[in-house]
Amino acid sequence: MEFVIETRGLTKTYGRVRALDGLDLTIPRGGVYGVLGPNGAGKSTLFRILLGLIRPSSGTAQVMGGPVGDLAHMRRTGSMIETPRFPPYLTARQVLEWLAREHGLKTPDIPHWLERVGLSQAADRRVRGFSVGMLQRLGVAAALMSRPDLVILDEPTSGMDPPGIQEMRALIRSLATDDGVTVILASHQLLEVQRVCDRVAILDKGKLVREGAVSELTAVGERLRLMVSAPDRALELLGGKGQVEGQAVLAQIPRGEGPALIRALVGRDIDIHEARWVGSDLESVFFTETGAVQAPEADHAG
Amino acid sequence: MLADAVRAEGYRLGRNRTALFWSLIFVPVMSVVLGAIGAVMVKGSEAKLSEATGIPPQLQAMFAATPINLADSLVSAAASAANPAVLLFLLIGAATLYAGDYRWETWRLISARNSRPNLLLGKLTVVAGLALGVLVLMLIAGLIESVIRAGVFDRSVTFRADAGQIGDMAALFGLSWLRVVQFAMIGLLAAVMTRSLLAALFIPLAVGVGQALSPQMLMPAGVMPTDWLAILVNPGAATDAIGGALRALPLAPAPEPGLMLKSWISLLLWTALPLAAALAWFQRQDLSKE
Repeated sequence: MEFVIETRGLTKTYGRVRALDGLDLTIPRGGVYGVLGPNGAGKSTLFRILLGLIRPSSGTAQVMGGPVGDLAHMRRTGSMIETPRFPPYLTARQVLEWLAREHGLKTPDIPHWLERVGLSQAADRRVRGFSVGMLQRLGVAAALMSRPDLVILDEPTSGMDPPGIQEMRALIRSLATDDGVTVILASHQLLEVQRVCDRVAILDKGKLVREGAVSELTAVGERLRLMVSAPDRALELLGGKGQVEGQAVLAQIPRGEGPALIRALVGRDIDIHEARWVGSDLESVFFTETGAVQAPEADHAG
Repeated sequence: MLADAVRAEGYRLGRNRTALFWSLIFVPVMSVVLGAIGAVMVKGSEAKLSEATGIPPQLQAMFAATPINLADSLVSAAASAANPAVLLFLLIGAATLYAGDYRWETWRLISARNSRPNLLLGKLTVVAGLALGVLVLMLIAGLIESVIRAGVFDRSVTFRADAGQIGDMAALFGLSWLRVVQFAMIGLLAAVMTRSLLAALFIPLAVGVGQALSPQMLMPAGVMPTDWLAILVNPGAATDAIGGALRALPLAPAPEPGLMLKSWISLLLWTALPLAAALAWFQRQDLSKE
């Protein structure tokens, strides 16, 4: 498998604080890869090292097969770290014109990228009047303009309204599927990550605590949720593998045993009104792995 | 590539109209305006002045009949182009360029795709070009001022220059440019070390004041103005010494032996050291802190 990012023992200390603590991480080429972690987990530090903004205290990092700082490899990378800022006297179009020169692009096709991030109407407005969401969009356009093989996006939807988030999610997915770009993103919005990412790494205190495909991570703890006419009898049938949740019965069985269970319930004259697999979501995986305290949900019934 | 960095910085500066106005346009325009006002005021008090100085009317008439040689004006303008006003206002543009990426947190957008020395040298090249631009405008301002003076005093203008004079003008212009670029280098070092626009503007000025005051500070310690130490700490004196030798004014005393060597070394050190220090500091700088 080809990797776009490979870190070995990557460590960054700020005084006594270890922002990254011997991180070993390999990110395969293709798809959308999420980097998750609570505040201070080391996500931004990792991205900053990968982009050559800061130097690691120890360890190595490779981007696109070459060491960080090797321009031949770095030029295949686009990035947006946190909410970008731009010289306020420039318009959106001029920002991209300026960055196209900085990046040595001969034919940057700026109208296309402004269109793709939904900024065509604001192309000739000075960025000093832009909202955070518009700055994010412009930052993404700047990251994509050089048609990189790898895009690193730190909180790409921060400050965006729901339609903007949806558009950005679609853009990120299409980059991976239509343009063959590998996208690495960090986000605090776990639902968004679950929807858009193929694989994720969960960092905590500068270390990798979990890595894998989203489907694998969320499959752990998967249960069959049944709405049946006789929950007591269904529970009896399930033995220790069943539990009641409100009006439903949750069966903790492997997917392969689902059809047999349904046949058995029907065989006992229990009517099945609804049956669906429910997984543990990325949020629960995240809280389990990082030990972060999940806020109790508000009791709207009370 | 350096060419990409130069193109990008040039593009960015070209769209920053405020910085362009103050650093490029303001001083030459003010120089013409103040020169014209000065000429009109002198003309207004001409009678009183000639009475006070006791210049005979015949001499005044002869003086008025002498045309103003614009070539002389160009040489004077070239020699005095690196004046404090030009330096101060040029540094506004330079500081904007140097500290802008810290201020607007834009290093993160550009630093992954070009080498750090190229990024810094790109800025410096554009500032050096800006300095060239403002000095050329100062020469033009000098010419316009002379034409206005000729109009106010009813004198004709002429342009008579021999090869030596053109050579002097080119050499003095180059020297003025080097002096301005020196301050721009100090501004670059200040911007990189402090990440601050104000520091990039005021530290070179403070250094300039320190250089100008250095003879008075060193004299009590027995250091003469033409001693090594005095010349090394004061590249302004070095510039004056080289400029004086280039102009070779009649009746001017011959320069002290070895003074030229000291002066050139002083100029080169003040040019190369700030640049080398800025590059070394920037190479290891954490660019995620803005």
